[in-house]
Amino acid sequence: MKLNWRKMRALVPTYVVWTIATLVTLLPIWWMIVVSARSRVELFDRPDFIIRSFYVQNYTNVIEDASYREYMLNSIIIATSNALLVTVLALTATYALSRYKLVGSDNIFFWTITNRMAPPAVFLLPLFLLYTRVFAIGDWRMFDTHIGLILLYCVFNLPFAIWLMKGVMDSIPPELDEAAMIDGAGTVGVILRVIVPLAAPTMAVTAILSWVFAWNEYLFAATLTSFNARTITTGLAEFVTVTGTNWGEMAAVATLTLIPSVIIVALAQRYIVVGLTFGAVKD
Amino acid sequence: MKKFAGFLCLALVFVLGFGVVNAADEAWWQAAAAPYAGTTIRGVSESTPPSNYVKDVLAPQFTALTGINVEFETTSWDQMYDKAIKDMEAGTGIYDFVYIEQDIIYSYLARDFLVNISAALAAKPELASPEFSMDDFTTFLDYFKNADGDVFGIPMEAFIKVYLYRTDLFEDAAIQEAYRAEFGTDLVPATTHEEYTQIAQFFTAYAEANGLELWGTTVQAASGHPASFYEFFESVAPTFGVYNWGINTENWKATVANGGEMNSDAAKAALTWWLNNLQFAPPESTSSTWDEVAASFAAGRAAQGLVYGENAAWIATDPDRSRVVGNVGVALPPLAAGVLEAAEAGDGYIGYYDGGAFGLPITSKNQDAALLWLQFIGLPEVQADWAVAGSRVTQQATFDEPAVIAADEATNGYYTMFKEQGYLFAGAPAFPFHAQVREVVAPFIYRAIAGELSPADALDQAAAAADAELVNLGYGS
Amino acid sequence: MRSKRTGWLLLAPTLIILFIVGFLPFLYVLYVGFFDWNVFSQEAGMTFAGVNNYRRLVFDTDFLNAVWLTLRFTAVSVLSQLVLGFLLAQLLTRDFPGKSFFRIVHTLPLMIAPIVVGAIWRLLTIPGLGPVPYFLDRWFGFDYRIGQFADHAFITTVLMDIWHWTPFVTLTLLAGLTTMPIEVTEAARVDGANRWQLFRYITLPLLRPVILTTLFIRIMDGLRIVDEVWMLTGGGPGTATRYVGIHIWRVVFPKTDYGYGSAMSILTLYFTIVICWLLYVSISQKRSSD
Repeated sequence: MKLNWRKMRALVPTYVVWTIATLVTLLPIWWMIVVSARSRVELFDRPDFIIRSFYVQNYTNVIEDASYREYMLNSIIIATSNALLVTVLALTATYALSRYKLVGSDNIFFWTITNRMAPPAVFLLPLFLLYTRVFAIGDWRMFDTHIGLILLYCVFNLPFAIWLMKGVMDSIPPELDEAAMIDGAGTVGVILRVIVPLAAPTMAVTAILSWVFAWNEYLFAATLTSFNARTITTGLAEFVTVTGTNWGEMAAVATLTLIPSVIIVALAQRYIVVGLTFGAVKD
Repeated sequence: MKKFAGFLCLALVFVLGFGVVNAADEAWWQAAAAPYAGTTIRGVSESTPPSNYVKDVLAPQFTALTGINVEFETTSWDQMYDKAIKDMEAGTGIYDFVYIEQDIIYSYLARDFLVNISAALAAKPELASPEFSMDDFTTFLDYFKNADGDVFGIPMEAFIKVYLYRTDLFEDAAIQEAYRAEFGTDLVPATTHEEYTQIAQFFTAYAEANGLELWGTTVQAASGHPASFYEFFESVAPTFGVYNWGINTENWKATVANGGEMNSDAAKAALTWWLNNLQFAPPESTSSTWDEVAASFAAGRAAQGLVYGENAAWIATDPDRSRVVGNVGVALPPLAAGVLEAAEAGDGYIGYYDGGAFGLPITSKNQDAALLWLQFIGLPEVQADWAVAGSRVTQQATFDEPAVIAADEATNGYYTMFKEQGYLFAGAPAFPFHAQVREVVAPFIYRAIAGELSPADALDQAAAAADAELVNLGYGS
Repeated sequence: MRSKRTGWLLLAPTLIILFIVGFLPFLYVLYVGFFDWNVFSQEAGMTFAGVNNYRRLVFDTDFLNAVWLTLRFTAVSVLSQLVLGFLLAQLLTRDFPGKSFFRIVHTLPLMIAPIVVGAIWRLLTIPGLGPVPYFLDRWFGFDYRIGQFADHAFITTVLMDIWHWTPFVTLTLLAGLTTMPIEVTEAARVDGANRWQLFRYITLPLLRPVILTTLFIRIMDGLRIVDEVWMLTGGGPGTATRYVGIHIWRVVFPKTDYGYGSAMSILTLYFTIVICWLLYVSISQKRSSD
């Protein structure tokens, strides 16, 4: 891109605003990294933003702790499976809502969204009972399993995903699938060959955001897991104890959990805006 | 750091084999545990040093000895209660042992959530270890007994909330001189509330004049966290002679009008005094829960303060976490006239005796294996190292262990005070509605801290709310 | 050609999962809301109470105060996000060197777990440890105490929410702006419309559905905020930031008042649905009138 002086001058406000926005965004994150670099006594030093020495023990302690590696792995399994499940379900569900004149499809759509509105605290009790008493076969129960959380996270990820996908689905002209059907494609064929290529950016965003929400969820994971499926966010909360919050190690874990998210977002950056249109603007 | 210590201990265990229990007893444990070898028992606790020691050191030892696996879930303070209560209320049987903080035991007993350990051991003599004895424990065990004297929890940690002060400041000749010049008395740890405030004021002014990041006292006054409720009702109010949160245990009433004391003049004086100390406390005080008070003191930001005893040892000895290593003194909290005499006579108490135990939920499906485990953690042999790792003492003999004596010297006598004057302190009152009434009363304390309510108004409203809630819960009428 | 059965079949897995993990719990909570059930009341277990819990709620000043605070919090933070997000999105419609860097950095807060956001902000704002009170005092002589002053705590929770969620608003509005037909704007500009007129008569109406959708999502999530504020203030000082999610949490968790907490949740959910339904209706109307 060629830039002349006049264009540059016009961009000054943009740069000023965005530089400020970037600083404001980065400051808390940078502070988290600074904290992760300090030992417990150093934390009470003058609160400036400079890292003078790096207290690596905050990181090595956590990395060497087998349970944190396990938490990390559980989080990866749960978030990834949930993201895939949610994306596929949202694809088929919105296809159904958009293409078939189903009774009450508008209400169904709104109902799916209301699932996300519930204040979470009180719903833990029925979910706990459901997972420990109802979904229990012999010694096996849904409580403290990966699959339990994977399904549960659909409650708040699916509504969002359906909303995102619905817009795209509505904007894909039905004539396209009809043409494919005339060529002999079945429903699955149409979805795979016509819809998926066109909806790919939105599907990518859906998967990414679902992944991030699942990766970050705390309350449900804390209540519905105990030994086998504990996630990294529950591990984070363990640092806050009666005998002292280990801010340094907590910040170290928080920094580590941020890395995968950042990588994914950086890689998928261009889809994010393209995919977030909610189909609200007609093209 | 403590995780590293855990690893080291773990390594040591493997090197030494299971040297804790001698050969004859080893045979007993193996025989008793034989029917349960291979089973897994599960428990839940908060992620604190004593619990982590259980998880990292005692559990592997027990497994090596008996073949019974122990899975231990460590979690946050709120979650620990919630998960145990949900499990027991719903009868799901997830946990075979649960952490019972001293203050929640009465709630659990009222609901028959726990197995009567005394009765269970009497009924199954083949499971009762000859080495284990309830008599080894300190009087802290009494908090886990029912009216008949049967035990429902095996103590695993216990502390007293003491008055910590900075020996380097209190013993500094120049500071002593200045103090004497100003007040005409010697600078020594306060025994009355007036002296305490005077010292707090003095050090705050002294620090300001000298440009130090130092204040006169800590205050555990987090304005949105029950820690402030606890400091007031369990550590401050008793020193003014207001016990049991000011609730009359005869008729379950809190207001003075109905025979309670929560809004009595003494209680109001206590709250006024406590809140008044905020002006001599570091600015973080209104965000400080129990651990942040300890952290402030450890950072050298306060000259004195009421600090939970589990923190005394690390503040005095751990240079990785504390700036005041070697400069920590302990004393009894400042008291109103007559309170000490009442406590000595057994008619009151001067502060908080805190701690917890492991109990066996009635819903557990592996009760026999869990009984063995609970006895194992109550063996005299395992106490000493555990005491040092978590600065906790639950058995009388532990006070005489060399490691504990060394720690006692480092803290200028915390353990001696604990041993000899521990009886002056008391645990939370025997309320089956502990958390329920706390939740109702605490917001008024928060609002008093924030200055929205005067101390008198806060306590008047709190007492009225407590009366209403108690009726709501079915206590009193 | 399209059989309804295939449609329902495609929809079925979604409905079944949402029914099990969403609707069944809802029914249970609805049911419990008609009972007195506090784990540690003298009378253990559930006793039928009819609509007593709801009757109590209407006069429960603590609950109503929490609802009011939540509405205030949501209104202030969501509106600020909208304004800021629009400004930032508008500036991203043109290409300029460094744009993708700015955008990636801007997305970061979205990626951080709410409890971590709360923890970071706590670390930033605790007096004696955090840089915010330190520098406010040093540079402006301002005595900032989040644990002491209600306004400070309220504003901090709002700022935290703005920090956390403005990126989301920026991205959705940017998506809306980039799909806007350029011809319309160009034509208006040729006709001599000034900036304000462009914004008022072209951009805003075209963007309205996107704005409403974004509002909907942010309001829905803002009304149920818990984790961040829980970590930051715990609802204090006093009850200044005790938003309804936190209030319910305190009633249900530490206080184990399942019956009353259930009724509270149902009422809150009902309010939320009503607010969102109104927004939803205005979105759909806009769409069908296009």
